[in-house]
Amino acid sequence: MTDTRNNEQLEQQAKVLFDSSVEELDAATLSRLNQGRHKALEELRRPAVVTWGRWAPVAGVAAAAVVAVVMINGPAGEVPANGAVTVTDFEMLLEADSLEMLEDLEFYSLLDAVDAEAQGNVG
Amino acid sequence: MGADALQREQQLNRFLAEVERRALRIAEIAVRDRDEALDLVQEAMIKLVRNYSDRAGDEWAPLFYRILQNGIRDWHRRQKVRNRVMVWFGKGAAADDDYDVTAQAPDPAGRTPEAQLQADEALRRLEDTVHELPARQREAFMLRTFEGLDVAGTAVAMGCSAGSVKTHYSRAVHTLREKLGDHW
Repeated sequence: MTDTRNNEQLEQQAKVLFDSSVEELDAATLSRLNQGRHKALEELRRPAVVTWGRWAPVAGVAAAAVVAVVMINGPAGEVPANGAVTVTDFEMLLEADSLEMLEDLEFYSLLDAVDAEAQGNVG
Repeated sequence: MGADALQREQQLNRFLAEVERRALRIAEIAVRDRDEALDLVQEAMIKLVRNYSDRAGDEWAPLFYRILQNGIRDWHRRQKVRNRVMVWFGKGAAADDDYDVTAQAPDPAGRTPEAQLQADEALRRLEDTVHELPARQREAFMLRTFEGLDVAGTAVAMGCSAGSVKTHYSRAVHTLREKLGDHW
């Protein structure tokens, strides 16, 4: 009986806190939600089209490039024993909506280059 | 656009406006990043409209949350793989500790700084603890408690049986009570 009451109390308190955080969302976030909703509703006016097909050649080339880099260079750091990178990992990353991953790699390479340059200047 | 289509659009607009803020916070607690959560919610809204706009209105909530939960699970899988690949390339895993609930919250109206601080702290502890739950328990707890779906709706959203929902939910509440007990 006490357990049930304690559970209900926890649920109520969690709900109150959660609801207050929902009420306190800032205007910029609400605006983005509003924009997202209207973008979603535009789907009602749009004829159904398959769009990912046009990315297939890009994804294929990107996949081949990444695999080639890995084959040539091997792992750059120490890979954890339970963290082996598999073909499936690359397949998942190279889905059409994961191509931004390649941009991340470029970005991190740029950061490395900037760091190296800065160290060169200091040393 | 015909009258029926216009009415359907208005119904969908009302439904999405009703759920979007709670959905955002639920996604945010799961992925700990507001921008990512916004993307996940928008993607779920688009998929619901594209694939299920012709379904009965009372089916939308479980379907919407099913899409959102799938998106969240997929996001976690991709993050895990991304971090592994970053290690492979020698870039290291992305930091996950720069999330600050207090910084995200706007200034509330009508509360003393002390009360606001207490509420922020309680919310932070709740979010941390909910986030640390196993994924299925977290889903069950947030869908039942935060969104208010019933057991059947939660089962549809989670893609499992009503019995599993009850089990996950019960374990979630038990764990939360254990971890939050001293502070609540």
